[in-house]
Amino acid sequence: MADVPATVGPAIESRDLSKRFGQVEALQGMTLVVPSGVTFGLLGPNGAGKTTAIRLWLGLTTPSSGSARVLGEEIPPRSVLPRIGYMPQDPAIYTDLTVGENLGLFGRLVGLEEPTIRRRTDAVLKFMDIAKRRDDLVSTLSGGMKRRTSLAAALLHNPDLLLLDEPTVGVDPELRASFWSFFHRLTERGKTILITTHYMEEASRCDLVALLHRGRMLACDTPTAIKERTGSANLDDAFLSLVRSAQVGIS
Amino acid sequence: MNGRRVLAISRKSLSQFRHDRRTLGFVVGMPLLMIIAFGYTFGGQVSHVRTLLLNEDAGPMAGRLVANLTGDTLDLVDVADSNAARDEIRVGGAWAAIVFPADFSTQLALRNATIEVLIDGTSPPIVAAVLGSVRAAAERTFAGAGGAGAMSLDLDYVYGSDETRFIDSFAPGIVGLAVLLATTVFSVIIIVREKTGGMLERLFATPLRPIELVLGHAIALSILALAQSAIVLTAAILLFHIQVVGSIVLAFGILLLFAIGNQGLGMMLSAAAKNELQAIQFIPAILFPSLLLTGVFFPLEAIPQEFRGLSAVVPLTYAGDALRSVMLRGWGVADIGWDIAALLIYAGLMLLGAAALIRRQA
Repeated sequence: MADVPATVGPAIESRDLSKRFGQVEALQGMTLVVPSGVTFGLLGPNGAGKTTAIRLWLGLTTPSSGSARVLGEEIPPRSVLPRIGYMPQDPAIYTDLTVGENLGLFGRLVGLEEPTIRRRTDAVLKFMDIAKRRDDLVSTLSGGMKRRTSLAAALLHNPDLLLLDEPTVGVDPELRASFWSFFHRLTERGKTILITTHYMEEASRCDLVALLHRGRMLACDTPTAIKERTGSANLDDAFLSLVRSAQVGIS
Repeated sequence: MNGRRVLAISRKSLSQFRHDRRTLGFVVGMPLLMIIAFGYTFGGQVSHVRTLLLNEDAGPMAGRLVANLTGDTLDLVDVADSNAARDEIRVGGAWAAIVFPADFSTQLALRNATIEVLIDGTSPPIVAAVLGSVRAAAERTFAGAGGAGAMSLDLDYVYGSDETRFIDSFAPGIVGLAVLLATTVFSVIIIVREKTGGMLERLFATPLRPIELVLGHAIALSILALAQSAIVLTAAILLFHIQVVGSIVLAFGILLLFAIGNQGLGMMLSAAAKNELQAIQFIPAILFPSLLLTGVFFPLEAIPQEFRGLSAVVPLTYAGDALRSVMLRGWGVADIGWDIAALLIYAGLMLLGAAALIRRQA
């Protein structure tokens, strides 16, 4: 896997991006660049600020300070939303609609024409291996199938940038492997994928990773470089080492 | 059975209530609201019914009877002639007109007197109040002289008829109430469900604008509301043979406008509800003012005067008035202009308010 592929301008640029909720600093001065065409992992434990960062990039909430550009547009990135696919942590799909009806809805919301929706629905469901469940109510699907449907809805409009919030949490190893296979096939097609996860072992599958802890970014580099810098055998140890260093720095 | 386990469940439920302050407030506040609202409106007597008076009697007897029309049931206003009286009732300016003919005193002596009462018969409680007042005044005026038996009331219905029943008068309001409940409650629950399931956030991660979401829901629920209205109206016509003298199409138009405003109201209320349980608690808060303060079941004249102003801020007042006027009086769009204007303002404000609030809920 190439560490940093050739880019055509960054997919995301954050400059000193911060978000405060009352006394809680959910994100503190995040500065990072996500190049186009890579799988970028935003890693950190629960409460690290990963979801807050995604919500800021999507314009779902406003920053307390700092700025960001997504696909070249300052946040909130209204005009480029049709080029972004988003999969929230919980499978946000209507359980009282069928798989096909859910995809139809999201296709219409991003402005796809009906024939395109039909064609893309066929393609995406086949790609996600759930074509047979197209006419089934989502409420009848297993948890894994619901996640596939949620990812299919994010992929339907062939977006340039995919923001996937903990797509593999609670997913069995087989499906997780299957998801990562999807992700790599997408980056091979030139898509940019940003994944949040708190599974450190998933980071090694990313081209670039940023480690977050309590709203602060501890490192942003290739997995190999982070391990080398901290002298760690794996990213778990690297993360713990960086957290300890940060705490020593703070104290 | 294990008593400790039973009590553990009870304790768990009470703890859940304790943590949900809004529900606790509902449990305490709602019965208070109910007893106050019903106490003030349900037991109220009809009063201050605007009634026109035309006394053409050449003799003194009509004047004596009028002097005995005491109390606050009728607000008497002199009118120039019977045509003017009829016109004012026709446009909804007064409920009734009491006309004493020129030969009233003479005919009374012959035990053949009549009092002409022009009346809007669309509200049986109002009709009963007007006729009851006139008959009571006649009894008082001619008590002991046997005069009350020497006169009769000649009823001239400007709207409705002596066959207009209570159900005819409140059927339009029931349809309005059904639409109000269905549309408001559904829209509160739909948005709360979207909010709690993370769907609002997912929807707003697409180019969807808040006003588009609000209008989309409004159209869908309006279609349901119209279907529901059709069922209620059809049942009322077939089963109870309610009177409909006006345009059903116009009635549906009013219901549609009212339904759109209600969806906006529901979506605004959803901002204050964290879950479906809290959303359901809005039902009585919407239901009771609409039931009691809008003239749907009890005429506005039966509400104590100090509370009548409240009816002006309850949207069903305008929808109910417009529906009754169309269905029972046969009025057209121009005649219910004020009601339509009020409903348009209601719909516009609620939809804009909903669009402003809904984005913050994502």
